Amino acid sequence: MSTNSPSPIVLQVFRGETDGGREQRFEVPSMEGMVVLDAVHYIQAHFANDLACRWNCKAAKCGSCSAEINGRPRLMCKTRVDEFGDQEIHVGPMRAFPLIKDLVTDVSWNYEVNKEIPGFTAAPDEPVPYRMLPEDTERVYEYRKCIECFLCQDVCHVLRNHDDKSAYYGPRYMVRIAALEMHPLDAQKRTGLLHGKAGIGMCNITKCCQEVCPEHIKITDNAIIPLKERTATEVYDPLARIARKINPFSGAAATTDLPEARQSQSVGPQRFSVKDVVRLKTRGRRMARVGSVLPDGKLEVWVLHMNGKVQHWDGPKVVRVSDVTNNYGPLDDVGIGSKLFEQTLTEHKH
Amino acid sequence: MLVVGAGGAGMRAAIEAAAAGARVAVVCKSLLGKAHTVMAEGGIAAALGNLDPEDNWQVHFQDTMRGGQMINNWRMAELHARESPDRVYELETYGAIFDRTPDGRVMQRPFGAHTYRRLCHVGDRTGLEMIRSLQDRIVQLGIEVHMEVTLTKLLKAGDRVVGAFGYNRIDGAFIAFRSKAVIIATGGWGRLYKVTSNSWEGTGDGVAMGFDAGAEVLDPEMVQFHPTGMVWPPGVRGILVTEAVRGEGGYLTNREGKRFMLEVDPKKKELSSRDIVARAIYKEVQAGRGTEHGGAHLDVRHLGAEKIKKKLPSMYEQFLRLADVDITREPMEVAPTIHYAMGGLRVEAETGATTIPGLYAAGEAAAGLHGANRLGGNSLSDLLVFGRRAGAASAAYQRDVGLGTIDERQIADETKLLLLPLIGEGKENPYLLQQELQQAMQDGAGLAREEKSLKTCLDQVLELRQRAARIHVPGTRKYNPGWHTARDLRFMLTIAEAIVRAAIERRESRGAHWRLDYLEKDPALGRVNFIAYNDGGRVKLKTRPVPEMPPELAVLFADAASPPPASQPPAPKPPKPQPVRT
Repeated sequence: MSTNSPSPIVLQVFRGETDGGREQRFEVPSMEGMVVLDAVHYIQAHFANDLACRWNCKAAKCGSCSAEINGRPRLMCKTRVDEFGDQEIHVGPMRAFPLIKDLVTDVSWNYEVNKEIPGFTAAPDEPVPYRMLPEDTERVYEYRKCIECFLCQDVCHVLRNHDDKSAYYGPRYMVRIAALEMHPLDAQKRTGLLHGKAGIGMCNITKCCQEVCPEHIKITDNAIIPLKERTATEVYDPLARIARKINPFSGAAATTDLPEARQSQSVGPQRFSVKDVVRLKTRGRRMARVGSVLPDGKLEVWVLHMNGKVQHWDGPKVVRVSDVTNNYGPLDDVGIGSKLFEQTLTEHKH
Repeated sequence: MLVVGAGGAGMRAAIEAAAAGARVAVVCKSLLGKAHTVMAEGGIAAALGNLDPEDNWQVHFQDTMRGGQMINNWRMAELHARESPDRVYELETYGAIFDRTPDGRVMQRPFGAHTYRRLCHVGDRTGLEMIRSLQDRIVQLGIEVHMEVTLTKLLKAGDRVVGAFGYNRIDGAFIAFRSKAVIIATGGWGRLYKVTSNSWEGTGDGVAMGFDAGAEVLDPEMVQFHPTGMVWPPGVRGILVTEAVRGEGGYLTNREGKRFMLEVDPKKKELSSRDIVARAIYKEVQAGRGTEHGGAHLDVRHLGAEKIKKKLPSMYEQFLRLADVDITREPMEVAPTIHYAMGGLRVEAETGATTIPGLYAAGEAAAGLHGANRLGGNSLSDLLVFGRRAGAASAAYQRDVGLGTIDERQIADETKLLLLPLIGEGKENPYLLQQELQQAMQDGAGLAREEKSLKTCLDQVLELRQRAARIHVPGTRKYNPGWHTARDLRFMLTIAEAIVRAAIERRESRGAHWRLDYLEKDPALGRVNFIAYNDGGRVKLKTRPVPEMPPELAVLFADAASPPPASQPPAPKPPKPQPVRT
């Protein structure tokens, strides 16, 4: 690197592991057009070979080099050092996630949440190749720009300040659900999941997430608010309420957007609650509902057996979380859980 | 079974193998969804014929073979051209949404050296769309993924590959996988060069591991320069400027404002094949007609701000943010950047099987499809077509074999090698050594090559190999990038040696391989591929005849035994084929 600029850049980079740490000062020669990631690379090569940071593309396309730069969640590859003038630049890890080392955090929780969202499902008789009109696909592109940098998750006050990752999936996964829900050929419903486990009610529209999005996705305006509206229409429809009254498995569903209700339901990182509908991986992939969540994380489930038109719930059986596939959310009258359940009943009627 | 690499090819292979009933684990060096495939911008080549009904697989096949200067594996090129349309449509069933025609079909754009408008795309983030769709599918199928794990050694029992060994990047713990089959889908080795569009991951691990285990490396000398990488400022040098810029109508000018591609290739102009455009820019710069920072201007201003922002949003953002250039008002400055490795493990066309039982390869890590030069958009379709094939074939293979026995000694040896930089007495800095290698390769085995510079480069590589044994890294095994680089460097040096040795022997200019001391094609060398193989730890070379095309395909090239790309005769128009379902 050339050193044609007189004054070096001063960086304060967080160094430390799970047991804590502190900032370390580095001076890096300045270079035209330099970004923070360049400076971090210089430090790695010349001063601290073992400085941990994630990066891949260095072109703001992969979303790996997320960090907090002077307190603000940003991509290091996209943050120019010259915008800070003579100030020191403080670089630290994302604080909403557990620290691994230096600038690297444990973001695995995000990947676990992702597994709970039912993926794209077209109607079984949808002819391939698909026909989709441009005007119908237009709005989906914005959500699909997401590079999974998790900066929105980092800044989200529900995830960050309350450290309550069991109550809300976070903005990233609202965007993902929006992409699926607005896909012109998707036949799956996720509103039950949204007002249940995904906890869309936890978002109180402070729009912090869309301010930090490096892809400029209007997360709150174009993903969360439309999803809130969609959920409200389907969950709080008066007819649905009556139906819920006579549903034997109805529970706290109608009040789940109250934070208290959500938190009392949440049962730790595995995200299973009483009445959730799951599908077992074993035993013929039967459906089951969760009776209780045991302290060791295992689930006590009641497995659905159809005897002609009559349902039998066998149980309780104790299964490991790894023995069940997607959690479809609570078995209420509007959610995915109930949709699957109805479907199973209908299949057996034939 | 084990899939090494979670880019397009690895994920597609895993999906196919899982669908065939195999128990699959995917291992990737980064987080899931960050693989280099996300950097693919322009599109995926498939002869759907949605915009140009004349297009069909035969034309795509011819374009691919001609682009590769006829040293491609014809069978791979045929399968690729036949099957890519189905793979594109299949990707949409995983949830991808390509840009659309007004009547709702998949939109296609023109691209370098493709006869018709053929590239299915999503703005300029096609790779992201592809990786996300595959990733979602992996999650849906519940396939096991080991993120941030680097594998460094294939474990063998006799001739057969029976597993792999490496470490977890997070805590540095060693990890061994016992598996019936291993698919290498680790991509290329752009990091060998200083100016590259590749991420840190492109260090050739998988291919070098295969090489160490005795597999053959085909066409290592064929390294593609993408004509348009960013030039300025220095920190972004090499970052890709997608070919879609030219596909959408962008044109190149030199400092004098002259559109030089009009002379170089009057027919295809800016959309000539990548090797030709890259050389043209290089020559302009050499002749003193380069731009301020040693490149050419790429201009899209005539498209209008609205179209630029719609069709090239990430280019707009990238230049504005990183170079302070508003491409709706100013031209971009571009120069060639290392982009892709046409070479890789030699595989069987239908199955992706390497020369070692139990070892498969797909995607950039495999060789044969692209010959001496890859056409833009053919890599994404390559990933899907051959990822799927490798997944299916290895799943079938593993049904009939048992798990092999792991030889503990192989693990112990590799462990010792891995730990050396942390406990050894050496003083070499892994990053600086890597930079030296990158500089040496850039200078000696870059775009323009000659005997003398290649030999100097070989000496430097061999010297660096010695010094690499004396690397020292401070700190512990816990998330220590210096330690990771130390091992990556060994892979890079193996590949570098193979590249340089083959480049010396190919005494001709063909495709991406441009020899200043042998400017013409040599018909004799046009009939062979170079193969690097492991001879007791040393890199040795041999040649292998280019597979001969059957007469029914050879007839497509009847008019041009060795076609110059600029002045090829009109291709014979084969009849429109029936859609192929495989």
